Amino acid sequence: MLSDFGVILLFFIIGFIFVGVGLVAAAFIRPSHPNPIKNSTYECGEIPIGGPWIRFNIRFYVIALVFLLFDVEVVFLLPWALVFKQLGWFAFIEMIVFVVILVMGLAYVWGKGDIDWEKPKPYIPSIDDLVVGKKK
Amino acid sequence: MQGSIGFPILTWITFLPILGMLIVWLIPSGKDEETKKRSNMLIRWTSVGITFIQLILAVIIFLNYNNGMTGVNQQSGFQFIEKFTWIKASLPLIGNIHIEYFMGIDGISAPMVLLTAIICFVAVFPSFGIEKAVKGYFAMYLLLDTGMMGVFNSLDFFLFYVFWELMLLPMYFLIGIWGGPRKEYAAIKFFIYTLVGSVFMLLVMIGLYLSVGSFNMLDMMNPANFASDSIFGGFNTSIRYVAFIALFIGFAIKVPSVPFHTWLPDAHVEAPTPISVILAGVLLKMGTYGMLRIAFPIFPDAVGYFQGLIAWIGMISIVYGAFCALGQFKIGKRDLKKLIAYSSVSHMGYVMLGMASMRPEGIVGAIFQMFNHGIITAMLFMIVGVLYDRAHTRGLDEFGGMANKMPVYTGIMTIAFFAAIGLPGMSGFISEAMVFLGAFNTYPMLTMVSGLGIILGAAYMLWALQKVFFGQIPERWQGPWDPTGKKYKHDDINGRELTALIPLAVIVIFLGIMPNPIIDMMSASVNHFVEFMRPFVKIGGHLSGM
Amino acid sequence: MLGLDQFIAELNKSISMFLPETALVIAFLVALLLDLMFKKSKNLTGYTALIGFLVTGYFLFKQMNMQSTAFSNMFVIDQFGIFMKWVILLSSIGVVLISFFTNELYEKAKGVGEYFTLIIGMAFGMFLLVGSSNLIIIYLAIETMSLSSYVLAGYTKEVKRASEASLKYVIFGAVSSGIMIYGISILFGLTGSLNLFEINRFLAANPVNNFALFLSVIMILSGFGYKISAVPFHFWTPDVYEGAPVPITAYLSVASKAAGFAILLRFFKVTFLDSVPGNDSVWTLLGSIDWHFVIAILAVLSMTLGNLVALWQTNVKRILAYSSIAHAGYMLMAVSTMDDAGVASVLIYFFMYMVMNLGAFYVVALIANNIGSEEIDDYNGLGYRAPILGICMTLFLISLTGLPPTAGFIGKLYVFSAVVKAGYIWLAVVGVINSVISLFYYVKIFRNMYLNDVDSNKSKLTYSPASIVLLFVFAIPTLYLGIFFNDIVKWASYSANIFMGK
Repeated sequence: MLSDFGVILLFFIIGFIFVGVGLVAAAFIRPSHPNPIKNSTYECGEIPIGGPWIRFNIRFYVIALVFLLFDVEVVFLLPWALVFKQLGWFAFIEMIVFVVILVMGLAYVWGKGDIDWEKPKPYIPSIDDLVVGKKK
Repeated sequence: MQGSIGFPILTWITFLPILGMLIVWLIPSGKDEETKKRSNMLIRWTSVGITFIQLILAVIIFLNYNNGMTGVNQQSGFQFIEKFTWIKASLPLIGNIHIEYFMGIDGISAPMVLLTAIICFVAVFPSFGIEKAVKGYFAMYLLLDTGMMGVFNSLDFFLFYVFWELMLLPMYFLIGIWGGPRKEYAAIKFFIYTLVGSVFMLLVMIGLYLSVGSFNMLDMMNPANFASDSIFGGFNTSIRYVAFIALFIGFAIKVPSVPFHTWLPDAHVEAPTPISVILAGVLLKMGTYGMLRIAFPIFPDAVGYFQGLIAWIGMISIVYGAFCALGQFKIGKRDLKKLIAYSSVSHMGYVMLGMASMRPEGIVGAIFQMFNHGIITAMLFMIVGVLYDRAHTRGLDEFGGMANKMPVYTGIMTIAFFAAIGLPGMSGFISEAMVFLGAFNTYPMLTMVSGLGIILGAAYMLWALQKVFFGQIPERWQGPWDPTGKKYKHDDINGRELTALIPLAVIVIFLGIMPNPIIDMMSASVNHFVEFMRPFVKIGGHLSGM
Repeated sequence: MLGLDQFIAELNKSISMFLPETALVIAFLVALLLDLMFKKSKNLTGYTALIGFLVTGYFLFKQMNMQSTAFSNMFVIDQFGIFMKWVILLSSIGVVLISFFTNELYEKAKGVGEYFTLIIGMAFGMFLLVGSSNLIIIYLAIETMSLSSYVLAGYTKEVKRASEASLKYVIFGAVSSGIMIYGISILFGLTGSLNLFEINRFLAANPVNNFALFLSVIMILSGFGYKISAVPFHFWTPDVYEGAPVPITAYLSVASKAAGFAILLRFFKVTFLDSVPGNDSVWTLLGSIDWHFVIAILAVLSMTLGNLVALWQTNVKRILAYSSIAHAGYMLMAVSTMDDAGVASVLIYFFMYMVMNLGAFYVVALIANNIGSEEIDDYNGLGYRAPILGICMTLFLISLTGLPPTAGFIGKLYVFSAVVKAGYIWLAVVGVINSVISLFYYVKIFRNMYLNDVDSNKSKLTYSPASIVLLFVFAIPTLYLGIFFNDIVKWASYSANIFMGK
């Protein structure tokens, strides 16, 4: 008999076989005519400029983190909603506490100005900068 | 109870200096030159007062001491006992803990208490010359006093250890701040050496406590108190031998016996005069005292095993120390203070030899030698200090003809040097003679070799005397010490210095003629000690009571 | 599985036992809100933290004799945990107070609001860690305290070395907790449970692969070792200690270490104790791996390396950092005995270590306020320029060396007596030799304060009377506990009993 882990192992093996068989079969069947355009990263008509490893603005991460928190909240809310009737007030208060803590987190992020989407202010050189020897 | 005066005198004599330290602390240091000077004088005289009261207490102990009581391993034989429970708890997990505040003296410790009180009082006077951070100096001095007194009074190992370590730090600062040019090196060397010894002592103490269930030294001396399955249970086990060696090394570093002696010359040379006095006068005695009080009676079987080795160490210390002292006449390293430091190594060797004899006369001689050496070396260091204060050098070959310039000083110095040689009529003779008497019965060959130490001792002492006091006065010392006449009005020794030296000289001569007051103090205890050690150790010749 | 009603009942019971931690969480939230609402006020969150800690202390006091589990065996309340929680709580209060007198925090950071809030958060993580008896909770608690401490280590953003400290701390922390969770997963795979009590039962009943067990425990140890900064998991310690603000350095060296030791002891006892009846004070361990020896090796390495490297340091904070590694070694020595006497001696040692180490760091902070440096050469003559600081520092340093009559001596006395009692005399010998080595660098600090530059003409140091009162709060117990240690020893011996489940 297989143990619980054995089943998982079996699952992995079958998964690998399934994908592997598909790829190998495709390699045999498909026509192969490579050219530079086809080998470029996106075949969408645009020619890529620069490397793909650029730094994303840190603001994206903050927003993503806050989003994630509330995403997880929903994961907790679903089972809670299922047993809500049986548990009654206890569950209600507990969930209120949970939500309040999360809301405080949001308030904190808000209060500290971390979700303000400040636009970068590009520096436009004025004519004075171009005059040699003049102090700003 | 006999030997008690209904007053916690040992507590007072021990903790009085701490009280003095607090008083010294509270004396405000002045703002300008004038008030600063006044406050410094106040601090100095407070210290004189405190140590004087301590001396009076010691004399009271001396007068009320009952010579017939034994002590050593019986509580009933101790005098002036103070015993209170300090820490007591019955704990299932870490075993019972029982620490007592247990003080008392017997014939082994009483002379040491007296010695400590005398030396601490006397050494305050040369301390008057200290000008730098006076308050700190006397605070540390008094703390050191408490530490030393406590070591000689405690009968609980834990208490003993606390006092033993308590005096490390003041000593470090006293050498390190007020010392000579290489003070830092000397101070840390002293600290590290002593600490190495005492941490192993700590391990042995823990082992004893786990075996006996209490820190009481007297309980540890009774083999019946050792649990049979405990670390130190039984006799003649190798772990007991190792423990004895650890304790012995811890104490031998303090003595210092030969392989562990190298810190002593450095410490002495760098320490200021009064601290050299205390170091040689009292501190070294703590090592040999610790052996008699702790190492020997707790591990008598190991003493039996290592008795010969101890005697050998004593012999080697005597001869090697004497040769090192002689080495000071080599050109280029002639230091009078170093010479006296090495002579201390040699003289403490007699104590070791006397103890190894395990005969009453040998041990009485050893304790008496501890006392005498304390007094005599204190004198020697003070005498060197007097000269150093004036000339700012201690080079043996830089002096000469001082007898003409300082006649009184030369007189005192001659007494001290002759006492150190062991001239009959001085106290040193009696103790050395007793040590040899005892040791000759047990270890005749070693004792004969040790006799060499006396001859060498005479050689270096007389040679030093000749170099410094006789012959021509060198060019540079022909004028007065202090042309302005402010600091030294006369060329000769001054009144403050004489105050410190004369009482010591009187003691040396008095005990040389009539040693009974001190010897009677210890004989009962020493006889009991020898009885107690008898089954374990080798004793030569016919044994008669003292 | 529990029925729903039982589950609710268990939950209600658990919450009543979780009150100290709850108080901390509420204090955290309140401090957060107050910081948002009153942006101008300087120390408001600091006072909130103090009040929060006092309330926590009240609930902790009410739990004194409790012994139970909560949240379906995930969390344990026992005397052992409560002792450690007291150590953590008291040192948290101490650290908050020290922070009030640390100028560096107010000058080099943008406001201290979040600083105190994060201290509460870290205290919460440590409370959780001390009581946890489930591998997942252990992991979560370590992460909770770590995250706060990462930020706190780099709180003075304008100081370059603080940022460096924080980054190093994060990277080392991430690696070691990664290794730890791997170890946890192996242990889970071996025994089929995350609960320590169940792992213990499984190990008692079934033989497991020794190599896999050894590997997993060593990996878990790397997580604990990182928290207690034991060699070879110590690499972050000197840099972080040097870079972090002084109070945080003190906090990391005391409270964080206490939590690490608590879970180390709990993990070993609960997981490996062979709980046959009558096997109380001396533990018989399950399996054939010699855990005594493994821990003893860690102890020897930590002591020796910590002390030897400290000899060459020139920065006082770095010296104290290496000394804290060495102290971890002394305590590991007691852990390696694996008996209740060893546990009790660790507890005693911790209490003493808390007082003296906080005191030493506090003096460093006060001196840095004045001279703006922690270099040992700048300490020359400070004993005369600031007599009270000099005397107290000397006291703390001798206590750290372990000389009587100070608290540190009592700690050492009990550690060594536990080791000698268990028969590891070689280990005790290594320990005492190490304490002699340690003397050398502790002396270096007060040597510079007293022996150099004696008649200094430089100005006296200034400090407020309140800061001196706080200094005595650390100095007096350091001396007092060295002379009258009856109660601490009794309490620790009573607390050495780690709860083994039903």
